Amino acid sequence: MREFITGNQAVVRGAVRAGCDFFAGYPITPASSILSEFVKVFARGGGVALETEDEIAAIGQCIGAAMAGAKALTATSGPGLSLYSEQIGLAQMGEVPLVIVDCQRMGPATGGATATGEGDVTFARHVTSGGYPLPVLAATDAATAFRLTFEAFNLSEQLRTPVILLLSKDIALTRQTVDLEAIHLSPCVERHPAPAGAVYQPYAVASPGDVPAFSPIGGFQRVRFTGSIHDENGVLTGDRKKIAAKLTHLHEKITKSAGALEFVDEDLDPDAATLIVSYGLADGAAREAVAATRKRGVGVSHLTLYTLWPMPEKALRRAVTPNIRRVVVPELNIGLYADELRRVIHGPTLEPLTRYDGGLIPPHSIIEKIFSPKLGASGRTEFCPCPS
Amino acid sequence: MSIVTARRAEMCYCPGCSHGMVLEQLGQALDRMGRTSANVCIVSDIGCIGTADRYFACHTFHGLHGRSITYAEGISRVQPEVLTIVLIGDGGCGIGTGHLVHAARRNADIKVIVCNNFNFGMTGGQHSPTTPIEAKTTTTPQGAKEHPLDVCSTVAVNGAEYVARCDVFDPRTPERLIEALQTKGFALVDVWELCTAYFVPANHLNRAGLSELSEKLHLPFGVIHQSQAALSKVGSRPPEVRLRSAPEVSTVSPSLPSLAWTGRREICVTGSAGQRIRSAVGVVGEIAVAGGLFAAQQDDFPITVRKGFSMSSLILSRDPIRYAGVDAPDLSLILSTEGAERLLRVMELRPETVVAAGTDVVLPEGVRCDRRVELHPVGKRVGKESSALVALSACLFEAHYFDVPTFLATADGALTGAYRTENLSAISAGAELVKENRCPSPLVVNQ
Repeated sequence: MREFITGNQAVVRGAVRAGCDFFAGYPITPASSILSEFVKVFARGGGVALETEDEIAAIGQCIGAAMAGAKALTATSGPGLSLYSEQIGLAQMGEVPLVIVDCQRMGPATGGATATGEGDVTFARHVTSGGYPLPVLAATDAATAFRLTFEAFNLSEQLRTPVILLLSKDIALTRQTVDLEAIHLSPCVERHPAPAGAVYQPYAVASPGDVPAFSPIGGFQRVRFTGSIHDENGVLTGDRKKIAAKLTHLHEKITKSAGALEFVDEDLDPDAATLIVSYGLADGAAREAVAATRKRGVGVSHLTLYTLWPMPEKALRRAVTPNIRRVVVPELNIGLYADELRRVIHGPTLEPLTRYDGGLIPPHSIIEKIFSPKLGASGRTEFCPCPS
Repeated sequence: MSIVTARRAEMCYCPGCSHGMVLEQLGQALDRMGRTSANVCIVSDIGCIGTADRYFACHTFHGLHGRSITYAEGISRVQPEVLTIVLIGDGGCGIGTGHLVHAARRNADIKVIVCNNFNFGMTGGQHSPTTPIEAKTTTTPQGAKEHPLDVCSTVAVNGAEYVARCDVFDPRTPERLIEALQTKGFALVDVWELCTAYFVPANHLNRAGLSELSEKLHLPFGVIHQSQAALSKVGSRPPEVRLRSAPEVSTVSPSLPSLAWTGRREICVTGSAGQRIRSAVGVVGEIAVAGGLFAAQQDDFPITVRKGFSMSSLILSRDPIRYAGVDAPDLSLILSTEGAERLLRVMELRPETVVAAGTDVVLPEGVRCDRRVELHPVGKRVGKESSALVALSACLFEAHYFDVPTFLATADGALTGAYRTENLSAISAGAELVKENRCPSPLVVNQ
């Protein structure tokens, strides 16, 4: 059945489908309706929805709840993600399955509360101290917000890690036509349970990158949780071998799974000279532009990234077919992700198409970019809202 | 086996530090209560007392500074049978004051034990929120000048069930701890201690000095607050949580009349907050989707709520909509002057755009209007708050976007919620408005 729902409603539906039973959040535009929607949904039972005193408490309660066995989600916008920062580090170190939704808005600071922007794409990757990776996904519309919320839970459960899902104001609050039943989802994943009976070692792994088995706080097996550097028993350690093993593990459990983490749409034309790489809000316009370009008889390749981090390098390399000369990256920020792509795309020129005045990148500006590249010294094209 | 696994002398604390005493007393209290390791969780904050979790043979959680209260509340909500105890220092009560107060307000079912030694021990004896006036610390060499935080009164006046202040050497302290642990809901015990590394030598404090300090600061020892519920041991604990039990609500869609439609059209309605612009557009979108079309609604509004412009665009299409932005609408309905101004700033009115406007709207220079919609009589009939939907329906019908009977039938099957009747009346009123032909020059829409 087709429904007319916002991206935020789709997030809640995806979360409930994944078995989410704990939500805590603090009101902030444009994420607030996730909070009110969870309050509505859980009023019928099935979970706890909570409005806390601030963002730090919201994610703190989610971390406690997740370690007690709940599937937890919290949602905020850029200013709140800034406040989550330290707690995200705790969730990484303590290997907490947790989904964090960032409904981006124009930044920095309070920026534009009701203005769109996607400037958190690199912040989400480097959101906490220490430099260890965490998966970051980006929805392009309400349908993918539903699907990726579900998949974010799967990843967080499978890898025992916080996962960040990015939306932005014009995905979060825009109502779109979605048939949720028709959306293909992976089988629902639950965290790997510790075998009963034996003494539980909360952080024991066979080799770095494996995921420790889970037993809830409050269960029969004693759980020792800590945000400090610890050994397999959750006890503070100064043993450098154990320290290295733990931190290598934090890194490798994400990078080892990088293949499974690559959510992309590949719409490639082997003869194309131009590749569009898009994510988030610019993706819909890119799809329109690609369709229009092909209608004019010109080949073009298109790669949609739903996984931003770890960067889907395999998919990117596949997309840069031998004839590709230019890679156009439309994004609603100063060209953040295009800069990151320079690390893996070497031959073709990288051409960011940026807009950050609160408006969208319309299809025609991508089409213009495809047909008449106007390169500045930096290869950067800024969107001009007034057609020249 | 006791829940506390180490003796005081074996713990990592400085000689003479009171932390070990508190932990021993807490262990004895838990043992006396018959609590087993599986139904207790110690949540330790940061600082010297933050190291205490290692001495407990139960669930333990060691997190970030001041945030221990937040984890404890999350744990207790999911595992209400687990006795969740926070061990926090005076520093933690400072950085986490907000959490402390709000957990008390919510009557979170957690027990907070404040190991209060009036300074930051681990980081070098800096002053803390509870440092007494005139006390010397490494950051108050001339004596502290700030008023010390009264932790007990703060939570007591904000909803805590049980609050006590103790001197760690007082033989009644274990009793206070048991009372707190047996309380259903939020309980706090502020235990005054000696920090022999810094505060004691800098201020010549000793056991007797704790009582003198209590008198001097007018912060008495004893039970500070006990609610009636805590006294009767009934408690006003939050309702038990039912987890993962609710089936997903699936709505079965009745078969509704399909709406005839070709191509893709973009509509923009703009006006002011309070005119229910976004609701009106949303209603049309819902009906369109129920009638088999694809719709996308994108809103534009400032941070103000009942002030300022309110604009909403709607794309209707036979095919899926990839790009939800509207840059140059086919049909534009303007319901206030500030709405018109916003529209002109972010969209383009092309010569082929059909423009309708309320009769009272002063249009900015250069904006032509194909159609004036007389809203006042309509407002009288269906209520002023519905006039945006009336006007929008009228435009859609007059522009032959929809056939009236089919649209009404689809609306009747599609609309739900508190405003269903109101919205159906508004759409009917829109249809009547067109029938009455209040407008001398009907809309002609280029297709």
